[in-house]
Amino acid sequence: MNQKIFWRLSGPGALFLVIFLLVPLITILVFSFWRTESYTMIADWNLDNYIRLLTDKTYLTFLMRSLVMATVVSLVSLVFSWPIAFFIARYGGKYKIILLLLTSAPFLTGEVLRVTALQQILGPLGLINMTLNNFGIEPIEALMYSNTSSAIGLTYLWVPFMVLAIYLSLLNFDFDLLEVAKVNGAKSWSAFWEITWPLNKIGTAIGVVLVFVPTLASSITSKFLGGPNGALYGNILTNQFGSTGTWALGSAMGVVLFFVSILVLLVVWRLVGDLRRSGISIKGGARL
Amino acid sequence: MKSTLGKRLQLGTLILLYIFLYAPIVYIVYVSFQTNGVWPFPPDFTLEHYASLWHDEIYREGLKNSLIIGIGTAALASLLATMATIAILKYHVKGRMIMTGLFLSPLFIAHVIIGISSLMFNKNVLGLSGNIGSTILANATYATAFAFLVVLAQLARYDWRLDDAAMVFGATPKVVFKEITFPLIWSAIFGAFVVSFLLAFNNLEISFYNLGATPTLPTLAWGSLRHGVSQELYALAALINLVVFVFFGVLYAMLKSGLLKLDYKEA
Repeated sequence: MNQKIFWRLSGPGALFLVIFLLVPLITILVFSFWRTESYTMIADWNLDNYIRLLTDKTYLTFLMRSLVMATVVSLVSLVFSWPIAFFIARYGGKYKIILLLLTSAPFLTGEVLRVTALQQILGPLGLINMTLNNFGIEPIEALMYSNTSSAIGLTYLWVPFMVLAIYLSLLNFDFDLLEVAKVNGAKSWSAFWEITWPLNKIGTAIGVVLVFVPTLASSITSKFLGGPNGALYGNILTNQFGSTGTWALGSAMGVVLFFVSILVLLVVWRLVGDLRRSGISIKGGARL
Repeated sequence: MKSTLGKRLQLGTLILLYIFLYAPIVYIVYVSFQTNGVWPFPPDFTLEHYASLWHDEIYREGLKNSLIIGIGTAALASLLATMATIAILKYHVKGRMIMTGLFLSPLFIAHVIIGISSLMFNKNVLGLSGNIGSTILANATYATAFAFLVVLAQLARYDWRLDDAAMVFGATPKVVFKEITFPLIWSAIFGAFVVSFLLAFNNLEISFYNLGATPTLPTLAWGSLRHGVSQELYALAALINLVVFVFFGVLYAMLKSGLLKLDYKEA
């Protein structure tokens, strides 16, 4: 009886995801073994696309750059998101929802608009450097069309996801536990490392992946902020579906991107698992 | 003492984030009132972009399509996600873990992959060109995952024995949902709806690959880039943010007066 209701309730969504997510993904997996000729797909099974991706240094360079970018952006977002999510969850009271939605509302202003506005704030003719210039100070080079500038833009775009994930995890965290720890003489930091962090690691891991994946695939931000050496994997991926029309190669790039994301997911999961095993048993959190 | 320092640091980070997040939006609002969009200093105020926004059909069309995509996606995603969450949390049966994994899986797939794969599937397998319907369906995949995460986190501590108690007293499942479950969990569903709307309303990567010439706000912005983002779009973004902040104001007033309670645990 219960089993039947379970399937009736979860089945429609599961079916929906299989048809509209899984089946299209299998389609690009299949197409990645075909080839494109004058803007049509030809069912000529081969491995050329993958061989090209793995041997041509250009693709690997872009992929590596995207991986480094995604790692940096995730770590920076992680450091900022924790105190923010913690504050909203613990001290937000009945206004939690507003404080949280304020971090997400910028999504209603399109990505292109916000990134171009950032470009005008950060760029060589931008607000920051022009103001410095007015005071006779040298402009900050790192802000002008560089990978640093891309990283700022990408953190800007995706940090709300991390805040959301950690906040949702903290919703089910009993803050009274911290009071108990304090009464028993634990310092704030050791209470955090021994109680708050281990109990919210899974939520944090989800947050990291929510920032990592879109950053790894991003193309728009680097286009506007990245400058001459700023092109990322996402930029050449989207090119295959634009001007060059090499869909088969583009599909293969999408498949590679997908598997790299899964690999990262496994690494993060592994890290969380290890932390879970070691986390609680740490004695005297001051060592951390 | 130490905890107040910690609290102050957290509040400081939050305020910094707000400044960081809204600086470009403040800039957009400012530029929407300027004659020159490229280097709008010193200020030269004008309302011409608002006037041409009002007269140009294409922006209204884009806004309408974006709203349809946002609302359609949010409705579909929050419905599917809520049903799945109830199934997983209420019925401790086989398949729960697999279901949870399946519903979270879209979170780990980049939007651009969802965009290109649905494009390739529609075009090369079904032979259909993209339209608003297929855009909603593609957006709803990752939106369902976000909605699921939101509802799951908020209902994790819901006491399902309430439902059982009502059943014992003879209520049918439909009545139980209408009278007991829904009034207690609607705020979680509302949260899921808002989050999926926020994500889908201005999604460029999926709309771009699924819609040909049909304008939406993000594709209009993308299309206008060749000549620099048209300032009408800045004006429209300013108006949208005005609506958003009016909404926040109303929400604040309702929460403050106690007219609205969003935390079901307090109810």
